[in-house]
Parts: sequence; structure tokens; C-alpha cells
Amino acid sequence: MRISWKWLNEFCKIPLSPEEAAERLTVTGCEVENIERPCSALKGLVVGKIERLQIHPERPDLFVAEVDLGGPRAQCVTAARNLREGDTVPYGAPGSVIADGTVLGKRTFDSVVSVGMMLSAEEIGLPGIADEFGILRLPAHLTAGEDLLKALNLDDCILEISITPNRGDLLSLMGLARECYGVIEGSTLEKHELKLPRIGDPGSISWEGVTLEDPGCPLYGLSFAPSVQIGPSPMETRIRLAFSGIRSINNIVDATNYIMLVTGQPLHAFDLDRLPAREITVRGAREGERFRTLDGQDHTLAEGDLLITSGGIPVALAGVMGGENSEITAETKSVAFESAFFEPLRVSRTARRLGMGTEASYRFSRGVDPSRVLPTLSCLYEYLLKEAAQHHLEENVRVVSTRSWEKRRISLTRRKMHRVLLWDDLEQASKILQKLDLREISATDEKRVFEIPTSRADLSIEEDLIEEVGRLRGYESVPSRIPPLLHGTGRVGEEVEAHRKIRVAAMSRGFLEIVTYSFINPKWVEWLRIPETDPRSRGFRLTNPISQEQSLMRTTLLPGLLQALQTNLRSGWKDPIRLFEVGRVFLPGEEGEDHRESLRMAGVSWNGKERRVLHETSLKDDVLSIKADVMALCGSRGQIPGFSTGHEPFGHAGQTAQVSLEGKPCGYLTSIKPGILRELEIPGPVFAFELEIESLLPEKGFRFGQVVRYPAVYRDISLIAPVNRPAASVEEDLRRLGGTLLRELVLFDVYQGPGIPEGTRSLAFSLAYGDPARTLRDEEVDAVHEQLRLNLSAKGYVLR
Amino acid sequence: MDTIHAKIENIREKMMQELGSAGNSESLQALRVRYLGKKGELTQMLRSLGNLPPEKRPAAGQALNQLRQEIEAALDARALLIAREEDEAREATDFVDVTLPPRGRGWGGFHPVVQTMNEIIDIFVGMGFSVAYGPEIEDDFHNFEALNIPPHHPARDMQDTFYLDNGRLLRTHTSPVEVRAMLRWGAPLRIIVPGKVYRRDSDQTHSPMFHQLEGLLIDEDVSLADLKGCLNTFVGAIFGRPLDSRFRASYFPFTEPSLEMDVECFACSGRNPSCRICKGTGWLEILGCGMTHPNVLRYGGIDPDRYNGFAWGMGPDRVAMLKYGLTDLRVLFEGHGSFLTGGGY
Repeated sequence: MRISWKWLNEFCKIPLSPEEAAERLTVTGCEVENIERPCSALKGLVVGKIERLQIHPERPDLFVAEVDLGGPRAQCVTAARNLREGDTVPYGAPGSVIADGTVLGKRTFDSVVSVGMMLSAEEIGLPGIADEFGILRLPAHLTAGEDLLKALNLDDCILEISITPNRGDLLSLMGLARECYGVIEGSTLEKHELKLPRIGDPGSISWEGVTLEDPGCPLYGLSFAPSVQIGPSPMETRIRLAFSGIRSINNIVDATNYIMLVTGQPLHAFDLDRLPAREITVRGAREGERFRTLDGQDHTLAEGDLLITSGGIPVALAGVMGGENSEITAETKSVAFESAFFEPLRVSRTARRLGMGTEASYRFSRGVDPSRVLPTLSCLYEYLLKEAAQHHLEENVRVVSTRSWEKRRISLTRRKMHRVLLWDDLEQASKILQKLDLREISATDEKRVFEIPTSRADLSIEEDLIEEVGRLRGYESVPSRIPPLLHGTGRVGEEVEAHRKIRVAAMSRGFLEIVTYSFINPKWVEWLRIPETDPRSRGFRLTNPISQEQSLMRTTLLPGLLQALQTNLRSGWKDPIRLFEVGRVFLPGEEGEDHRESLRMAGVSWNGKERRVLHETSLKDDVLSIKADVMALCGSRGQIPGFSTGHEPFGHAGQTAQVSLEGKPCGYLTSIKPGILRELEIPGPVFAFELEIESLLPEKGFRFGQVVRYPAVYRDISLIAPVNRPAASVEEDLRRLGGTLLRELVLFDVYQGPGIPEGTRSLAFSLAYGDPARTLRDEEVDAVHEQLRLNLSAKGYVLR
Repeated sequence: MDTIHAKIENIREKMMQELGSAGNSESLQALRVRYLGKKGELTQMLRSLGNLPPEKRPAAGQALNQLRQEIEAALDARALLIAREEDEAREATDFVDVTLPPRGRGWGGFHPVVQTMNEIIDIFVGMGFSVAYGPEIEDDFHNFEALNIPPHHPARDMQDTFYLDNGRLLRTHTSPVEVRAMLRWGAPLRIIVPGKVYRRDSDQTHSPMFHQLEGLLIDEDVSLADLKGCLNTFVGAIFGRPLDSRFRASYFPFTEPSLEMDVECFACSGRNPSCRICKGTGWLEILGCGMTHPNVLRYGGIDPDRYNGFAWGMGPDRVAMLKYGLTDLRVLFEGHGSFLTGGGY
């Protein structure tokens, strides 16, 4: 909200500079985001009066004015056509500065010298206050030669204040003045009495009545101006509205806005003659009902929206905006002014749904003060009386009310206040609260009871009072202490532990940690060829994404990693790169679950391209080098993963492994399908893995081996097995058939080709035999090894 | 002198001369063979001892053995010398320029936010807080209602929400875990909740996904003083030195009173009016906090008369940006290798 400092000081005299006041307001909860001095660029401008105005002797499109500057005179040439002799105008002499920084001087227009300039609203930096084209005409009562900034109160500054949603009471000068009085030591509140209007039938017009059908509007007042003269507002009003960020429309609409800024109560003006009937009914909208607001927009209403109707026809969307059918125009002759209380949540819902954040809806949503609804009509009446003598105003106001507002009572106890603030001076606390217009109605040593003004809808429980005391006293007065550890030590927990170990293991192996968005482009499902039968194709969609590229909750971490890889390649990255991410994926729930969130660890590796390096071969990854990574990551949790031939829709059909822990599948390891990489414009290969962290949560206590004191005896064995027989299963056979002395076996050669039957391959192992208690003799080992060969033959292996 | 002894002297002299000119291990080995080998001169002389008269044999044998020992010792000494010289020569030629690039893989790299989050977690765990988690896909109740934010309340405008096609929403803050934790563990309670949160907002300083770390302490007789103490300690620990702080009044529906904590700008301490970090204000907004609203305690099944507590929510992304001097929040989630490696890998 934009607040004029000078205007604010008319309500509360603040003995501080705007900067000091801003600091204090910020610390106590009204964050002043900026202090703006809108006319600070202007220098040397004065008020001038046009003594004489003649057409330029040679240029009929120009005028020559003789401007009285309170003694001295200046001759000015202007093209503006809106001036007359006797007009009062802003004037800048040579050397003075206008809003855009231009320094004025002398110019000659076809032999007529123009000294300085008469100025338009735009040239003094306030385009919004212009009411016609041309030079800005000022009020006649200003004196020639007066400093323009002082004369128009332009030497002002604007506080841009961010008001929190609970403090609707601060959305007015009166409310903010009260707050300043409460928080700024030495400030004085200027009395601005709010008085009730005279309630009764308007004598000067015929009016049938007001009907409130919906509890969303419990109080409704209407006042009348049987005859008005539409025109621009007085200069002072236009300037103040401009400073407050509100566009000037005409004197009637401006009056409602001006008074709203003062009291915080939004008002609406209807063209009385354009109302379909001389009655108003407030009712709930019907689902699907259509309405055109005065900004020309058509809206489809929903049940729960509040409508102001007349003769059965909607004329305003209550608390949000009036209708085009009854708005004030240049032809308006008579006016009805509405001041009402609308339920905050009703207005808020409508305004949010229709995206109509107006000055009115903003205030109604945050709750207006019901006790100001009717007095605001008195303020308006007085304002209009002063504004123009031509208006004919009706003093009586029509009021209908279906509810009364009790003032809330809240007690403040010594015990609770001390508990929070470590301070228990109830007497002082009471003084603080009374500055905020809370009235103490009973007092004991342990408890004070306060009556809360209706403007403060945010105060409803004792904690609210403690907050008021705390923030006004200043939180710096509360000491700082570290709470004692009474209930045991803090625990990082399994998930954080697992995450930390795995990430450090990954980084040690050259992986770069990244974090990508949890929402992805839905096209990834297609790009990764994930079939409909796969739960990973059934991710949740955002109904209101920022963009389609971020509209599907990821079901695998792979898209983010591949996208990061693409991003890097597109920016010219050539080196080998390994990326990993730890994050959640979001899967459809099983058996009554709403959904399932699973923490995953995934990585990709790309071998780089076209980059000449010193050590050509050492960095090239393949599926088996990534397998070593996966084993190391699991190893960091003391776990040994199992690998078996796997299948992934995006995985190379011959290079995909299922990873399992304790026999339970927990992820995959693969080379991404070459076709997918081609489509993603990633020159392959790319190796990837993804693991469920949950499977890695139980950290296995590491089992140490026996100390070997006697050297092993080595024998090799080479056998032929079908190609599709996994090496692991051959190893398993060797272990099982090798007897108790077989200590270790290492696969050292795999051969497939000439000399070996089609469909088979040769596997060569080096076997270590040993006994923990003694050195084995060669003959013993030979016997055992021979037995193993026999066993293998019996199992169907061809030995070489 | 006997011929045998003269011969011995002769061999000794010759041998010593040849030894002096043996320049490498090969010629040394040849020498060894020539004198001590099976057919070596000395060996042959030893063998020929039998031809001597028996009374001369002991003296001749002794002299020969002595010569043999002498020769062996001299050969060994020379061998040691030559080996050392040869090693030195070889090392001089086997030079490796250690400024060449390494072979194999180096350290990968960490993400600033994950790293910072871990540091923050450790600080609070040290103060007795335990880590708790909750879902990122939430329901309206936990994300809003149980936190004292009824439907259509203007406070909902503070957090623009993403909704899902299953009727749920993406949590806009980590606060929903407060009520979940209260219902699960009851009072007293001391938890922190790290995690991702989502708001429908995107520009240089807002990302639709970002991180939060929530804290909650519930006990008997908890004061704002405890909150200030915990958070001041945290700030000193994360920025490496105690920094001035100030607590401003603010508003959050789920705390009462509500405060915002600013810390002294660690870059300029308020001394530089054109400081880019604090924009000349001298203060950095770091987190929102407050005393847990009694309604929230009630939703969590905790008696607000007996227990009270405090909570805070901070942005590790912002802390990380301050710590590492980053200016654009969005690059944090794009995985640029050049950014994450500091330019090299």
C-alpha cells in the first residue's frame, strides 16, 4: 500500500523522519519496502498566472503568454489550446528542472522568445492528475510566484508498506495512524471523529427499500445525491489519489476512493437513474449467472458469489466491482452511494476465483471495520459538501442490518505473558495495549481483561495480546537463551545417514551432485518408451502448471538427469561427465494408498566426445564399470547388491541389469537405448542406474573375514558354457562344487569365437585353494581340483 | 717366494686393476665369473691345491681363501656402488612431469543446497533436534487447515499452490509435517524437517521448487527467549561467526506471535550503503518464526495450556546462495556442469 507521508501526518503527528518512522514500522510488523519521493527531481518550479494570451504573430498554431510570477513576468510560447487569460499554471524559469531531468532554458519560436516553460502534468511527473490535454491548470487560489512544490504539497514522500493479510485495519490512513501512535514514541493522534449519519427516509427522492437475503451481507447503508455535477476532482484530491496509486476518474468516483483511503471502508457509487428499480436486494448468485463488470469484462458467477441487484437485475458484484449497467458516467445526474459489510471469506473466494484483486475486494477480504460502515457515509457527505457547491446531497441514509457486533473481550494473564516474553509487568502491558485502542475493563494482579475495537478482527485470543505487547515493547527486550536438553539427544536418522554416505561415495567416484525439478515434461514418458502397463507411465499431473514442460510429477529420476546432460551438451560440454541426484519420485499408490513417494538415487555417465586427452582409455565407462559404482554405493551402506539380467523400456536390450538387495529388486543398471539417445540428440552411449534408497536404509553390520596366515595354492580352470548362461551362475557352480578348501575364485578370461562351438563361450577362472590352519601340499590340491573337474563334467560343462 | 704365492699376488693385483675399470653390472658379473666362477682362475687354483706337497697345502689354502674373500668383498662393494650409480642414472632418465594431468577419476562435486542443508541439519541435531520427514504431495488439511489457514483465507495468497489431478496439492511449505509429527510423537517434541516445497512462482529470485527446513520445539514453558537462543546459535554456526540479529514482528497464520529474523549482513555489516548482498540495508532476511499457534497444537492433539512451543521455517537455498555468493536461484536446478564444478572437472 502506498501512503502519503504528509497526509498520514494529518492523522498522526510523527516526530520522526520518514526513514526513522519506516524503520520502526518495519520492526513492529508493517514492512516499509520503499520510500519514494515522486517529485524530488523537480527544481525551481513556481506558480504563475497568465496575464495576457495572444496568438503568435507568425504561427497561428502557437500562443504567446505573459505570465505573472508574483512581480517578475515571463513571456512563454505554448502550443497548448486549453489556456485562458487568468489561468493559474505551473511555470519553470530557465535553469529549473522538470520531471525527466530536462533543464529549462530560452527558446525562440519564429522571432518570439520563450523564456522557460509552462508545464503539463506529465512534465511535473504526475500524468495521472491531468484532467484535460495541455498545460496543467492549477486552483485559482494559489498565489503567483509561490513555490510550486509547497503550494501543491508535492514535497511529500510515499511509504510503500507491505501489510500482512491479518491486518485489514491498516489499509487506511486512520488505521495506520492508530498503529503509528501505538508504535512510535511521542506521536500524537489527531482527532478525527467518526459520527453516525442521520438514518431515515431520504426526503428528496423516492426510494423503495433495501432487502438483505444473504447472510454474507449483514449490514448495508445507502446515501443519496439527488443532483450532482460530474467533473474533475479538485487538484488536491487528484494529487493525493495519484500518490496513493489510484487513478483519478471523476469527482464522484474519486470521492468514494478518497474516503476509502481515509477510513478503509470501500464505497460504491451507482448512477441512480440507471438503476433498474428504486430498490436494492443483496442475494447470492446463481450458478452460471452472467454479469458484466464496469471494466467491460464478462464473468460467469458461481454459487456463493454475492450480488447486489436492483429490480431483479444484478448491478454489482458485492465487494469486488460494480456493474457496467449502473456505473457513473459523464452524463450521470444523481447518485446512490453504497457502504456495506460483506463477509470476508465470501468476497475473498469470488475475487480469487475471478482473479479480480480490486482495492475494494482487497479490503473486504481482510475484513473491514463494521463500526465504520455507516460513519464512512458521513465522511463522504462532508467531503462532497466541501468539494462542490453544485451538488445537492441528501443527508438521510437508508440502513438495513441483520446482525450486531459485540466488542470482543480478551484477558491477558501474567502467567502466559511471562511464559512467552519472560516479562510480567501487567501494568506496563496494559498501557501498551491501550495505545492501540484496547480498553481495559477489569484488572487484578494476575489478569487484565480488555475490550477489543471492532477494527481489530485479528485479535481473538490471549496469544494475540501477547504478540501486541511483545512487538510494541520490542523483541530485542526478550533475552536469548538456549533451551536445555531435557529429552535426549537429536538423531539424524537412517534416511539422512544413508543419503549422506551414498552421496559421498558417489562424489568420491567422480559423480557430480545435481538437483532437478520434481515436475517434468510429460513427453518423457513417451521419449523413454515407458508402456502404459508400467506404473511409471502413470505419474500425477499438475492441474495448474507454470508450463507444460513442468507439469508431470516424475516417476523416475532419469528424465532430470538426461535433461541435465542435454543442457550441458547443448552448452558445448565435451568432457566425460557423471551426474547423480538423490530425490523423491511419485508413484501411484497400491492397495488403498493415496500415492507412494520413494526416495531414489540415480546416476548417469557419459564418456565425452571429440576431446583429445592425454590418457585416452582410462575414463571410458561401460555397463560393467557402472556396476562397480553401484557396488561401491551399496558398499557404503555395508550392503552387497546382486545383479541379474534385467529389462527396462529405455534400456539397451542386451545391457540391462536388475539390481537387488537381499534378493529383493531395488533398481536397475543399464545402457540407455541407442534409439532414445538419438532422439534426445545425445551422442551415446549413456550409462544409467537408479536405486531405491529405502532398500539401503538398514546398514548391514560389516562381517570381517578370517586372517589368512598360510599362502594359497593356485589352479586354473577353463570351461565352456552356453552364451546365455550368466557367469554368476557358473561361478556359483564352481563354488558349490569346489569343496571346502576353495578359498577364492576369479574369472580372468571370457572367450567366444573360432575354436569354440557356436552358442557357447569359454570362461577361465583362477582358483585359490587354502586351509586356514596349514599350508596345503600340491598333491592334496591336485586331488581336490581333479574332483572339481569331475564334478563339473558331471554337471555338463565341457572342460578345456 | 713360492710360485703359488707369487701367483696369488699376481691375481690380486690384476683383479684389483680390472675391478677398477669395471664400469657396469655386466662387466662386474663377467669379472666375478672370471675369477670365482666354476672355471674361474681362483677356483682352478683351489682345485690345483692337491698338486702341492702336503706341507704347503695349508698355507697356500689359507692364502687362497683369503684372496677369495678379498675378491668377493671387493666385488660386492663395487657392485653396490655400480647399482647405486645405475639407479641414479635410470631415475634421472625415468622423469615424470608431475604437472601433467592425472590419470583416473577425481572428486565429483557437491550441490550447494544439499551441502548447506546437511550443514544446517548437523547444527540443529547438535542442539537436540531430530530429523523428521513428511510427504511432498499433501492434502489441503495438513498444508493449510491444520495450520490455521481456512479455505479462501487471504493468507493463502501468500503461497500460490500447485494442485494435482488426484485432488491433492504440492506442499507449499514444510509446516504440514509439524502436525503429522505432533500426532505421531506427541509432546515434548524437538524436530527439524528438511525438504522440497513448491510454489507457483518463477523469476530470478523465485523457483517453483525450492527447499525449506522447518523446526519445531514443543515443551512445557517455552519462551521466545528459547527461540532466539536456538536461532542465534544456528546463525553463528552456519556463517562461521556470531552475527547480530534482529527479530521483526510479522504474520504467519500458524504462529502467534510471529516474527521474522534478520541477520547482520555478513558481507558489509551495514557499513556499505551500496552492498549488493543486503542492498544497503545492513540486514539479511533469513527466516520466519514464532510461537506455535494454540490451534495448531490442538490439531496436533497437544494441550496448549500445558505445552507450548516455537517453530521456524528457513530457506536453505537462500542460505546457500549467501554462503557461496550466488545470485540466480534457478541455475541451482539445471545441473550445469560448468556451474557445479566451479568451471573445471
